[in-house]
Amino acid sequence: MASEVEFELVDVVAGYGRAAPVLRGFGVAVPAGSIVCLVGPNGAGKSTVLKVAGGLLKPRSGRVLVAGREVTGAGPQQMLAHGVSLVLQGHSVFREMTVEENVLLGAYTLRDSRRIASRVAFVKEVFPVVADRWGSLAGLLSGGQQKQVEFARSLMVDPKVVLLDEPSMGLDPKATSTVFEQVVRMRDAGTAVLLVEQNARRALETADLGCVLDLGRVHISGPARQLLADPQLGELYLGGRPAEPVPDI
Amino acid sequence: MLVLQSIVLGLLLGGLYALLAAGLTLYFGIMRVVMIAHSAFLILAAYLAWWMHDRFGLDPLLSMVVTVPLFFAAGVALQRLLLTRLRPATLTMMSVLLTFAIALGVEGLLGYAFTGTQRRIQLGYGSASLELFGARIAVVKLIAFVLAAVALTSLYVLMKRTRFGWALRATIQHRDAARLLGIDTERVAGYGFGIGLATAAIGGTALSLDTTIYPSLHWHWIGPLMAIIVVGGLGSVPGAAAAAMVLGMAQSLLQIPMGTTWAQTVFYVALFATLAFRPQGFFGGRLAQRF
Repeated sequence: MASEVEFELVDVVAGYGRAAPVLRGFGVAVPAGSIVCLVGPNGAGKSTVLKVAGGLLKPRSGRVLVAGREVTGAGPQQMLAHGVSLVLQGHSVFREMTVEENVLLGAYTLRDSRRIASRVAFVKEVFPVVADRWGSLAGLLSGGQQKQVEFARSLMVDPKVVLLDEPSMGLDPKATSTVFEQVVRMRDAGTAVLLVEQNARRALETADLGCVLDLGRVHISGPARQLLADPQLGELYLGGRPAEPVPDI
Repeated sequence: MLVLQSIVLGLLLGGLYALLAAGLTLYFGIMRVVMIAHSAFLILAAYLAWWMHDRFGLDPLLSMVVTVPLFFAAGVALQRLLLTRLRPATLTMMSVLLTFAIALGVEGLLGYAFTGTQRRIQLGYGSASLELFGARIAVVKLIAFVLAAVALTSLYVLMKRTRFGWALRATIQHRDAARLLGIDTERVAGYGFGIGLATAAIGGTALSLDTTIYPSLHWHWIGPLMAIIVVGGLGSVPGAAAAAMVLGMAQSLLQIPMGTTWAQTVFYVALFATLAFRPQGFFGGRLAQRF
């Protein structure tokens, strides 16, 4: 694993309106070629982290860095240009457009048709479902398949890092497994991933690094397997003791 | 013979309904706005066509060179300056009030500028007609239909084939996701409104060719148009077009036994039937559930 940091939040304070801040000095670093998973109880600020990271919410203070470059305060369009792609929680495919149209819209900000064609070939290879269902309406696909279309769409700009907000939300266990497999494939294809998940245990099993968020700060962070093995964390954040031994990844 | 005549007239009328309903559907799709003033702008465009013909002797079709860009700009301004100021939570209800006021405003201005006198364009080819499978069709009705058909086809191609059309459809279907892909959804929504109002300009020109117009005429149009977009499934352009053709035809055919006044009721019967039995509309469209 390369140690170069693709994406970093430093000392971020952020919140909504005049209310007390949700994030109170939060920081996380996403090394190249790795999956970093944020876990924590409801209301800890996980979604707020992704809003700041995706440029949807400007931090009150703190810094946002992409590959070492400061991009604090950039909007969603600029974050995209800097190489940060956000996949929303829930279903966000364009339901009444085809998979093809959905994926090509991912390249909306690109003009070079040769580059777009090569990205299409790339995402079809990473997500076979996208190639299989290329001509169908996205709304007719199953929840797990739609998620993969969203992943493919977000990879069209060849981002440095993809932000995934609760990718397993609303999916059955089988579809959840598929989605996590696809997250690993995204990493193996060279994209760093910052993942927010309710399904903490499952997500940490997939991730390389974990970061436990509580009350707007980092409670603890480290290699994901280490966090999984920590009995106290399991009790507090991961819903009790593991039912089965942690598999070797 | 009379039936055939009615079918052809129904088709021609349905084409105009379809174009106007497409505009309404677009507004509703883009930001859940119920645009009561759509038909007021239709009549405004018809008045502008009449006025340019009356004053400068311009063919009504040429008036579109002015009215289409003008209405496009007015649509963008309406969306950017007024509608975006409404609170999202109550947008649909408040848009009814706002656009109702705009409709009254347009009607009042027309009455003020042109008085309440009924107006009609006298065209050289106004009384020409041709035989089609034994039915007599006025040339102006045919021109109106072709105008509507060309506009509707252009709209379809724009939505399906152009970069802007894709961005607009993406904005309609999932605004946040569209924004995250780098689409400037605010601007796209504004242009979408402009296109909607531009369809009223084209429809108004078509209408002016063979209809007697007066300032309050728009109230006769908005009811049927609203019924059409509900029957078609709110937010679905092909659904609205299909409903427009069916209801236009039904209206035309029912005029034979029932007369013109009662034939109008077909729209309201269809509206009640839709709301009672299939509120999501008869021709696709899933947006009604969110309404």
